[in-house]
Amino acid sequence: MRKGFKDALNKINSINELKIGITLLIILILIAIFAPLIATHDPYVLNDDMAAKPSSEYIFGTDGLGRDVFSMVVYGSRTSLKVGIIAAAISSIIGTLVGGIAGYIGGKIDKVISELINMFLMLPTFFLILIVIAIYGSSLTNVIIVIGLTSWTGTARLMRAQAISLRERTFIKSAKTIGESNIGILFKHIIPNGIFPIIADSTMAVSSAILSEAGLSFIGLGDPNVISWGQIIAHGKDYLPRSWWICTFSGIAIICTVLSFYLIGEGINCILNPKLNKAS
Amino acid sequence: MKGYIGKRIATGILTIIFSFCFTFFLIRYAPGNPIKVLAGTENPNPELIEHLTVKYGLDKPIIVQFTNYIKNILKGDLGYSYMSNEPVIKLIKEKIFPTLLLTLTSSIISVIVGTFLGVHAARKVGSIFDRIMCGISYIIDSTPGFWLGLIFIIIFASTFKILPTSGMHDLRADNEGFARVLDVIRHMILPVGTLSILQIPLYFRISRSSVLQTMSEDFITTLRATGMKESRIFNKYVLKNAIIPTITMFSLSLAFTISGVALIEIVFAWPGMGRLIMEAIKKRDYPLLTGIYLIISICVCVAMIVTDIIYALIDPRIRLE
Repeated sequence: MRKGFKDALNKINSINELKIGITLLIILILIAIFAPLIATHDPYVLNDDMAAKPSSEYIFGTDGLGRDVFSMVVYGSRTSLKVGIIAAAISSIIGTLVGGIAGYIGGKIDKVISELINMFLMLPTFFLILIVIAIYGSSLTNVIIVIGLTSWTGTARLMRAQAISLRERTFIKSAKTIGESNIGILFKHIIPNGIFPIIADSTMAVSSAILSEAGLSFIGLGDPNVISWGQIIAHGKDYLPRSWWICTFSGIAIICTVLSFYLIGEGINCILNPKLNKAS
Repeated sequence: MKGYIGKRIATGILTIIFSFCFTFFLIRYAPGNPIKVLAGTENPNPELIEHLTVKYGLDKPIIVQFTNYIKNILKGDLGYSYMSNEPVIKLIKEKIFPTLLLTLTSSIISVIVGTFLGVHAARKVGSIFDRIMCGISYIIDSTPGFWLGLIFIIIFASTFKILPTSGMHDLRADNEGFARVLDVIRHMILPVGTLSILQIPLYFRISRSSVLQTMSEDFITTLRATGMKESRIFNKYVLKNAIIPTITMFSLSLAFTISGVALIEIVFAWPGMGRLIMEAIKKRDYPLLTGIYLIISICVCVAMIVTDIIYALIDPRIRLE
């Protein structure tokens, strides 16, 4: 066990993307957990200093309503991580199941599902999310569910390819001969053996979910009851160009978060495809 | 070839049909009464309720409603906008040209620049240029486009003051003819610049990796063995094969690009579809919103099919499949 951990650590250290990504992510998670301790002000309290410049009192300045931008950015990490991780989890689970079934069972089911995936690839997903949220209300739960339900197609394509190649392998055929049921094979052999590229893909899905949420918040479709980075930027837009600090810092926070998940995904891909690793 | 294109067109038609059904059922099953949704207010007056009920046939069975809806769309009637009481299709027509202008200009610029940089980086894999470009492409990929636009506004509006940061033309100067074109171009620089920067990494990465892949193929090794000059191999054989995948990327990124464009339009107050969407959301103008969604879906489908056909014409491997 100990040796396994050390091996994993060595592997992480050998790939720069993974090293930077995981470090960034750990810092972010710590910020999200200890937000009340780190924040210097209550992010919901309106101070008298409106649109104040960054100073020792307000590290990132205050916004147009007198809220402390630093504390808002700190609390915003919770929203972004929550949206990103839950939405990506939903889309990965759907994608893995749909792709696994299509690839393993094949035949007509596969044809229908592939056509469905092709169709979804042609849809402007962001607008799909936007219109549903605009009509059905913009609570955080809605945002998470809708993002999750609309972004599973990439994962499904990957899993389908995995299942098709695994289907022909001997151990699957032997499992069949022993008399294991299709569902058993799917869950016990196909999915566990084909899951690694999916994990890389899911970490990247977290990134795009966070960006989608930020975009939605920016057009005013975020949950008004929570603090999110996209909303801070949307609010700060009205105070440009004088109060540059409102937008700038929350944007940098988004970049760091999204980047950390991208890098981790890229790093896992590097481990999985040594050929790719050599090229870079 | 025919089979391939036929298949793509079939998928496109299916997608459009899906969009029709989707917008229809979205409004019908929205929380609350569909009349409230269509009227856009919480308390529509009785006359309005009656008018809308008759217009959309809300008292008839759902199948009849659906066929009416499809019939209306096929006639080009997307309903009336609540906020301006004009046909939705007319509002969209007015705004679609500025959006297309931004989308196409920025796409073309980023294909050219991105492919050039990618090919260049692939020729010198592992060099400082390659590494810096890869790093930058990660960071740009993580950047929300609207934020980048805002940062440009901060830089250009407060520090440099050379470029206009909002609108499509100067409202104070009543330019005509060539001066007007120049004015529009000046206003385009920032939004197009932002959009291009956002898309360049896409083409950079795809062209870089496809050059690398082609370089490692057997026929290149054979050519090397014949003693052909490295530069000749590259220009004559590698480039041709490596550039083709960028066209697929062009088609795949369209749906993504158009949503990016909408957000950038809002940032730079560009009078296009993005602004229209923003207004429709603010005023809860659902007929307008669904109309825009339909038009965008159709545009994306058509554009994707066209690029796929071009791709099939260029690359024989697809054609023969």
